Amino acid sequence: MNDTHEQPVTVSAFRPGAWFGIVGPAVSVFLPPSEKARVGALWELVDGGADFDEVLDSLIASGLRSLPGFLLLGSAEPDTRVVARGAARAVFDLASGEQVTVDGAEAGTWNERVLAGVARVSVLLEDGDGAPGEHSVDAGLVRVARLDRPPVVPEPVAASEPVPAPSIAPEPVLPDPVLPDPVLPDPVVPEPITPEPFVPSPEPVQPEPVEPQPSPEPAEPEPAPLAAADEVSADVPSWPPAGWPAPAPLPDVAPEPSLEPPLSIGSWKRDDDPATGELATTGGEPGPADDEQTEVLDLAGIEAAGAEPPAPGGWGPPTWGPPSATETPEHDGQTVSGGGWDAGEYARQQPGIPGQPPAPEVTAQPVATLVFAHGEVVAVDRAVLIGRAPEARRFTSTDQPRLVTVPSPNHEISSTHLEVRPGSGADHGSAVVTDMGSTNGTVVVQPGLGPESLTPGMPVQLLPGALIDLGDGMTIQVAGA
Amino acid sequence: MVHLNAGAATDVGLVRPTNQDAHLATPPVFVVADGMGGHEGGEVASAAVVEEFARLARAGFDPSEAVAAVERALHAARARIVAHVQQRRAAGAVDYWSGTTVVAALLAADAEGPKWLLVNLGDSRIYKLHDDRFDQVSVDHSVVQQLIDSGQISAAEAEQHPERHVITRALGPGGDAEPDLFVLPLGSARRLLLCSDGVSGMVDDAEMGRIVREVADPRDAAEQLVARALAAGGEDNATAVIVDVVGWTAPGAADDTRAEPVRLEDKLGALP
Repeated sequence: MNDTHEQPVTVSAFRPGAWFGIVGPAVSVFLPPSEKARVGALWELVDGGADFDEVLDSLIASGLRSLPGFLLLGSAEPDTRVVARGAARAVFDLASGEQVTVDGAEAGTWNERVLAGVARVSVLLEDGDGAPGEHSVDAGLVRVARLDRPPVVPEPVAASEPVPAPSIAPEPVLPDPVLPDPVLPDPVVPEPITPEPFVPSPEPVQPEPVEPQPSPEPAEPEPAPLAAADEVSADVPSWPPAGWPAPAPLPDVAPEPSLEPPLSIGSWKRDDDPATGELATTGGEPGPADDEQTEVLDLAGIEAAGAEPPAPGGWGPPTWGPPSATETPEHDGQTVSGGGWDAGEYARQQPGIPGQPPAPEVTAQPVATLVFAHGEVVAVDRAVLIGRAPEARRFTSTDQPRLVTVPSPNHEISSTHLEVRPGSGADHGSAVVTDMGSTNGTVVVQPGLGPESLTPGMPVQLLPGALIDLGDGMTIQVAGA
Repeated sequence: MVHLNAGAATDVGLVRPTNQDAHLATPPVFVVADGMGGHEGGEVASAAVVEEFARLARAGFDPSEAVAAVERALHAARARIVAHVQQRRAAGAVDYWSGTTVVAALLAADAEGPKWLLVNLGDSRIYKLHDDRFDQVSVDHSVVQQLIDSGQISAAEAEQHPERHVITRALGPGGDAEPDLFVLPLGSARRLLLCSDGVSGMVDDAEMGRIVREVADPRDAAEQLVARALAAGGEDNATAVIVDVVGWTAPGAADDTRAEPVRLEDKLGALP
């Protein structure tokens, strides 16, 4: 790739997250988790050396409306060009000492800027945790929450000490407030911030807020992530709510995602990914303050992104039942993913064969009675699983199936051979039978009709008087309720 | 009469600073919980689950109402986790979170007799050994499982998938905390394995199956599984509980004569 005409700085530091970062030598694109489908093609473009305009064309080729957010960064030009839409923003530290934030949420369509003399850019995609990441990437495809180019060399705490840093160096401190920011509520934590007033930073970032002020928002003009995030929620209602975390749990953020809770469902990122596991470990080791930061901050976003009221004490009593809310807690500063997931994908599989029409779990009145050849009589007011040693899988406390074990001296009947359950839709009020993929099959004889072999997984309505043959001498007579 | 022999082992692993797994092996209740959360949040959550199930095991429960008993235990555990989180948030850690996976096996009963009631929430796992076959019973509540189910990736690809640790359900405040329940005949699962993903994520199914098949003593089997997880890198807390059903034979297993020896052909005259 053409690193040659690049500035010396091609390495970026990133923190893993849910967004897709397509990082190229000349152009980098960041897409929300929901836009996974676009990533492959864009990577081809970016890796192939496409310029800013080509990539932008490709991004908006299918219309802007279908693209809830993105951030496009052109870094190969003498000037740095950025286009941000939706919940993406970039903070530029200029050589002049000035800091410029380009926030996609500030504009209805997108926010574009061309900047000269950029010393550092920080791309902030998930507001939860503002800490710079420790992974580095030159060019490639990464899941990212934040990216810094060049990497922030001094870590947050360290950054406050190196006073001697040149004019550029003090600046990197600025993004930091994003980090300690929401941490402030914990009076124990102000530590990392305390040193900052000593930094001869051109901008007296937060001299006073050091007071263990409960307010999570120090008087900080620019990177105010809370405000920015608010706008994200307000301006881009079509945004999938879970996935990337908006910012701190402001009460006004909460109602927003609740408008569309079914869009996606929460997912919990386990911290046992070896790739990121080290992060989790280091997060745990440096001490409580550190740990608290990552943990707290990420959750801030998650809560806000979820549909549950984020304010402490705001949850209702623990619920037991289908997911009405979307919350995406995560662990140890790891980033949550799952923004693009559709609720339907997570719908619990009905017991039985996938594809079978859903039925009422349990009916008030039995829709039929099964009279077994061995004498047992079973009412069909719920799913009835019949076999030599039937198993019920993946049911809930409200739709527990009934298991009926039938004798099968010759083992011709499968362990879970067939299911009879109350029908739904066109079959409402009657029972339907489904062969569960039995080895030897099932034959049904409906009154007035010839014998019919069941196709495994295909439900068939049972008329009163029907006879089901499982083999091994076992038949079931279907009687009316 | 059903007798259950159990063995359990757990280890913090080689990477994690603390062990957030918790387990219970008190017949007739067996649990593995893999906690998640900041500070001690993971331990608190997994311990709450285990304590509630231990209470259930001590107090006893009607085997025919085991589903309701599980529901109550999980509900109580979740209430404790929520209270803990609320307390921590009220104390200033506004974004504190704590949660846990749960797998549990209880000796239950229905009209036909004793059965296994299995419970799964998250990506800890339950396996069964039956007729020398080692099979996973629980279905992970994870993103990669969804991808597998929808045919987008293969099981082999899932092992390397970057999102293989993203779970879609857990017991904690908010989100989806509805467990999957399973009922198995005792005779179909003479040996059960409950484990956290620190075991199933480090040791492949074939190797787990070999240990579960070959090591007769449940304590030895559990210990070997955890040792194997450590040998494979020990990247996560590793916990295994093995339960054996002993002294029980399925009624009518060999001597069932109730079957009416009349085939459908005889009744109808002919089949196609």
